[in-house]
Amino acid sequence: MIRNIITLTLNDLAIAFKNKTIFLIIFIPLFVFFSLKLVDRSATDVKKITIGLIQSEAYAPVILHTITSAGNIFTVSRVSGEEEGKRWLREKKIDGLLVRSEQDTGSVALVVLKKESLQTLSIVESFSALQRGTEGKSINWISGITPIQQGGIQKQTLPTWILMVVLLVGFIIMPAQVAEEKEKKLLLALLQTPMREIEWLGAKVLSGMTLILTAVLFLHLLGQFNPGNIPGYGAFIVVGSFCFSSYGILLGFLCRNQASARTLGILFYLPHLLPSALSDFSQKLTMVAPLLPSYQLYEPIKAILLDEGRLSNLSLEWFYLLAVGLVTLLFSYMLMKKRWLM
Amino acid sequence: MQIKIENITRIYTESRGLQPVSFTVEKGELIAVIGHNGAGKSTLLKIMAGWLLPDSGTVTVDGINLKNRLAVVKKVGFVPETPNLFEFFSVEYNLKLFAHLFHVPFVRIEEILREFNLLPFRNSKVQDLSKGLRQRVSIGRTLLADPPLLLFDEPTSGLDFEMTNEVYRMIRDFHGAGKTILFTSHRSEEIKTLATRVIMLHQGHMVFDGSPQDYFQSDLYEKLSI
Repeated sequence: MIRNIITLTLNDLAIAFKNKTIFLIIFIPLFVFFSLKLVDRSATDVKKITIGLIQSEAYAPVILHTITSAGNIFTVSRVSGEEEGKRWLREKKIDGLLVRSEQDTGSVALVVLKKESLQTLSIVESFSALQRGTEGKSINWISGITPIQQGGIQKQTLPTWILMVVLLVGFIIMPAQVAEEKEKKLLLALLQTPMREIEWLGAKVLSGMTLILTAVLFLHLLGQFNPGNIPGYGAFIVVGSFCFSSYGILLGFLCRNQASARTLGILFYLPHLLPSALSDFSQKLTMVAPLLPSYQLYEPIKAILLDEGRLSNLSLEWFYLLAVGLVTLLFSYMLMKKRWLM
Repeated sequence: MQIKIENITRIYTESRGLQPVSFTVEKGELIAVIGHNGAGKSTLLKIMAGWLLPDSGTVTVDGINLKNRLAVVKKVGFVPETPNLFEFFSVEYNLKLFAHLFHVPFVRIEEILREFNLLPFRNSKVQDLSKGLRQRVSIGRTLLADPPLLLFDEPTSGLDFEMTNEVYRMIRDFHGAGKTILFTSHRSEEIKTLATRVIMLHQGHMVFDGSPQDYFQSDLYEKLSI
């Protein structure tokens, strides 16, 4: 059984090389790498800032008064404590959280999601302007900025690129490869041998996972990104690649030929990619995106890469991805047994 | 070896498909399955090869139901009308892959390459070969596990005169070696030259089962002119 799986996996990888799939795998990380070098940092319109204040915190009266009076710049939200405030930051309910500075009672410390972001810049600029208008001096009310998510802008966009690579293999490459084998009756030829259906499926999943893992590794090597919590990160990349390889195989089984598989793949690719990747920028998408398996991969990867998340806190997402992978694999097995659209 | 086909059906539309068909194949027979396009010939062979699942009925090979694929897969070899090979790869690679999966030693590949005059093409990509050569590779691949039952779907379709004769020779050789063979055809000279038995399908129904001599003397031959 293992010998057959290895033989079929090597055969699938050889096909990936022959039909130029492998060039796609190399091209995407290169594209990502050069795109990251050219990230546009220009400012866009800045909306009203929602600032979080801790209810029990004794802020300097002048700061408190100024913020609450500046209704055209700030919307104030009260949180029960620092932990709740940080959670609200992650959920994008607030743009920044003010905590009392330990060094100076006359100033505050600002907690933000990302240090290098438009929101942070906007908060700091607004505070400076208000301070100059109120006190006319230049001692900063904000004594320090603490980001929740670590890393520069390149690292902060990394989860999106990784999601893109995983979904590309899962929804574009895998369905087309399965549909091609069906269309050219190659799968039927393989089923004329003592190979078990589950061996073929296992080999297909393994080849999909290999392509994904290669692309992710290549991306990390090129960008010199250190994932930090390697076991947790690896566990999510492995389960994510398993989940979306299986998902892609199922899509391939639903199509008679490559052309329809590509179309169906794109139909699944974009709705999985965009809501997850754009959830950082939109409250509405943050509410909808958790319904997608792609978000259950994206959020943990983001948490591990940027927020020092741990696998133990993310086990629900990990098992969710595993379950989606197993269920889609089971459906593929049933369709294969029925010789569906072969 | 005995193959029993009992009431198998596979309906596509009202007028297309395979209506209940039953017959038995004994060891060493060389059967031509004939009929016009859409008569159900290929459907019958594909069901026997396990490519298609019948809507109803059973196929047994030496008493084992075809549903038990792993138990019968080495007993049945199917050569489709269009060779289904990994075209990116060489002839040798294609044979090696299937030798791996059939668990047959690589020495068998050399035998096949020699037997089918494929030695000069062992490193050629399948996509660069002529249809006749591809058909030879396809037949060679089927023979890797040396199955006692061979099914050929339109084995000479699209081949030139020389290659057609080559395929006839091969089929006769396989038959001489004791293999049981079924092939689909709508060429009368093929039936005359090769078959020891004729099964005729018309609009999914089996309308004749007998010797080639009886077939060519029957009204059906006059009426359906195959």
